[in-house]
Amino acid sequence: MKMKRLKTVKSILWALVGAAFAIAVFRFWRGLGPTTALTDLTPWGFWIGFDVMGGVALAAGGFIIAATVYIFHLERYRPILRPAVLTAFLGYSAVVVGLMFDLGLPWDIWHMIVFWNPHSPLFEVGWCVMLYLTVLLLEFLPVILEMSKHPVLAAVYHVLHKFTVPLVILGIMLSSLHQSSLGSLFLIMPHRLDPLWYTPILPILFFVSAVALGLMMVTTESLFSAWLYEEEYELDLLQGLGRVAAGVLWFYLALRLGDLAARGVLPHVLDGGFGPNLFLVEILWSVLIPATLLTIPATRKRMKTLAIAAGMTVSGMVFYRIDVGGLAMIESTGTRYVPSWTELTVSFGIVAGAALVFFWIAEHFHLMHGGPMIKGRERLPDVTNFRPRLIRGAVMFVSGAALATALLPNAAIDGWPVVAQTVHRPGYGDVMILDGNRNDKGVRFDHKMHADIVEGDDKCAYCHHMVKPGARATGCSECHKDEHLPTSIFDHRLHQELLAQGPGCLTCHEDTSKPKDLEHSKPCLDCHSSMIPAGAAFKPRESPNIGLAPGYMDAMHGLCLRCHTEQDGNSSTDAPTLARCSTCHSGVVKPFDPLHPDQRLAAPKKDDAPKGDDPKAE
Amino acid sequence: MSGPKGILTDVTKCIGCERCVQSCRMANDLGTVLPFRWLLDDGLSAVRWCSVLRKDGKFVRKQCMHCLQPACVSACPVGALQKTAEGPVIYDSDKCLGCRYCMMSCPFGIPRYDWESAVPYVRKCQMCYQGRVSKGVQPGCTAGCPTGATIFGDREDLLVEAKKRIADNPGRYLPTVFGESEVAGTSVLYLAPMQLDLLTLGNKLDERPMPGRTATAMSAVPPVFVGMGALMTGIYWIIERRMKAERERAAKNGTPPTDAHGHGAAGHHTHDGKEG
Repeated sequence: MKMKRLKTVKSILWALVGAAFAIAVFRFWRGLGPTTALTDLTPWGFWIGFDVMGGVALAAGGFIIAATVYIFHLERYRPILRPAVLTAFLGYSAVVVGLMFDLGLPWDIWHMIVFWNPHSPLFEVGWCVMLYLTVLLLEFLPVILEMSKHPVLAAVYHVLHKFTVPLVILGIMLSSLHQSSLGSLFLIMPHRLDPLWYTPILPILFFVSAVALGLMMVTTESLFSAWLYEEEYELDLLQGLGRVAAGVLWFYLALRLGDLAARGVLPHVLDGGFGPNLFLVEILWSVLIPATLLTIPATRKRMKTLAIAAGMTVSGMVFYRIDVGGLAMIESTGTRYVPSWTELTVSFGIVAGAALVFFWIAEHFHLMHGGPMIKGRERLPDVTNFRPRLIRGAVMFVSGAALATALLPNAAIDGWPVVAQTVHRPGYGDVMILDGNRNDKGVRFDHKMHADIVEGDDKCAYCHHMVKPGARATGCSECHKDEHLPTSIFDHRLHQELLAQGPGCLTCHEDTSKPKDLEHSKPCLDCHSSMIPAGAAFKPRESPNIGLAPGYMDAMHGLCLRCHTEQDGNSSTDAPTLARCSTCHSGVVKPFDPLHPDQRLAAPKKDDAPKGDDPKAE
Repeated sequence: MSGPKGILTDVTKCIGCERCVQSCRMANDLGTVLPFRWLLDDGLSAVRWCSVLRKDGKFVRKQCMHCLQPACVSACPVGALQKTAEGPVIYDSDKCLGCRYCMMSCPFGIPRYDWESAVPYVRKCQMCYQGRVSKGVQPGCTAGCPTGATIFGDREDLLVEAKKRIADNPGRYLPTVFGESEVAGTSVLYLAPMQLDLLTLGNKLDERPMPGRTATAMSAVPPVFVGMGALMTGIYWIIERRMKAERERAAKNGTPPTDAHGHGAAGHHTHDGKEG
């Protein structure tokens, strides 16, 4: 069989589809995080910028050519009508498939039909995709059905054929909405989008550029299939499209620059730096060069220059959409998103799948000017007959899938949770002195014991990676919450009540005429001499410098080792709940509740109910 | 319930103890933060809905601003995000389909995503609406604050209180309440001695409500749709009528029919002469 070009191209496409399929399996199994480069700062990436924005744009050729032929009655463009409509259908299908990868919960996509928010541009985009995909299917279905002799299919064909013009008009209405509303999506992101791109007329710019893009997409496609199937180029037709596209491109440029001027940001174009330079490259690539090539008759009518102009317009306008969808946000948000190869492969795999469908239809149906591209296949497929090609495709598919799987990062295959792995022992052995709270006070820290107590796959991360601002590891107080209580252990009212008999205030305040401060009061240890166990490893500061009461942290550090040893194995009093005062002082001090920190300050009495939260809350 | 609720955070009173973060974590039963690639360095994540930023020795608590006219609510195509009458902007995971447009639209970059999950949802502060605020109890963060740096109350009362503090303490604060008019006002307000640009994302915001920016384009949808339909039908009808007349004339004169540009109707004919 001849057609070496075709075989090679198809093999590459099959491999891409296979690779995309393999990645798809892991994307749905392991989630978006491990299989993409998306972040909380860049929640939309290549799949939105290229698949959705680009796919819709590439499909613009469908409604443009349908309008040209059916509405404006320019019959000479009819030969490229069917491929254009098919491209639009496949483009939109690619958008939907791409969205299925990108959406976090793609199986819930039907929510768009049930739950409405008409204020959302994305709601409109969603409905337009659904409706226009249906319209395109109905517009294109006759091409398939006309091959069938089955009476029911033939009847459907005749009904659809009758409604061609209303369908085309509905398609144009939906397309003009959809092409523009893709621009409206970004109107709510003035904070993200560079002022060179952010403008209230984004929807209009998107629509106008889609017209030029649609015309050039049809041109590219026609030239490419002629090259691929080694047929004649339809240069006469295509240069007519090119002339119109040139006009649209110049109009688009005028709109773009006029808008910049009206908003007073035109001078910034020459500022240099990332944004302005990106803008210049984009304008040069998407408008200036192709529009010039298309305006000069000599270059417009030559195959090579026309192909260059068409390719530049198509890629340039997709470039424009990628700019709006992400590149023009880099400076304002400081994001450094680079699409992962998995994202790129999935995107190209979707395009490859669409291309394979296109070829298949071109080969079997009256899609192109001259009928089916491969003679002798003008019929619905016969399963027994295309096995050789199926095997070649399948081999490429499996190879692509295998290669992609082999290249996938571990995270995409194993999932993301931090898996326990061999780590070096802490430098000073299993027990070390560390300053967990960074207050220049070290404590003995039994690393091995903590590692044994904390369970689960993420046990190391439990302490080592809390990802708090400025923190390198978890402070002890994350678990040992009471350590950081302000020194509130001394309850003045309780002492007042207990000591009301006898000397009263003078029990502690040596001289009532002197200030009732640290210097002129009795240290706690004078009465509570048994407060510090004899075997405590750390001695709190001794009298008279002890203050009103030892800080709670001092008390804990002084007492914990002994109690922990004593209570070892007793789950009800073991760490970290041991740190509660009530473990020892049962019934006197309430357990600490972080949501009501102040309740501990008041001594609870039966008739003194704890106060509610902030009075403002009531 | 009186008016819509709000939170006032006084940056000068915050000691950076992060008890608000801890209380939030407990009130909402949030898990451990793991060192994921996709986290921002502001401390917020799918399992941390409030954090304390440190800048020049000041502590600024970051959380959802609960805008009066939220961008996320207008952006969500399925209405999974709603602004309640009490003030909190809440999220309904049963409606969400995971498009993440809310994350793109938020001018403060608040919503976060369960990237590591195969069934991911959007996560953000909901001002403890379900368990607390809807029952008249203040949110976990304000209840946990030991210094009263962040307090809960009616937004109107908090604004009065904020302005009183500005008047009573000359030089202590900038003379504006952050959140009073930014993006047409937020339920969460800040008093600070410095500009709070660190709470916003990207280009500087003005006082226009975010939903208003797409509203014009969205209101043009029905007229454009109908207008385009009418225009196309009209053009089709006029050209069709003219060509019909031409065809009849041609049939009379016996010359071959031509298309609108005068070229011969050449080209594509399918097997039965009909076109899809």
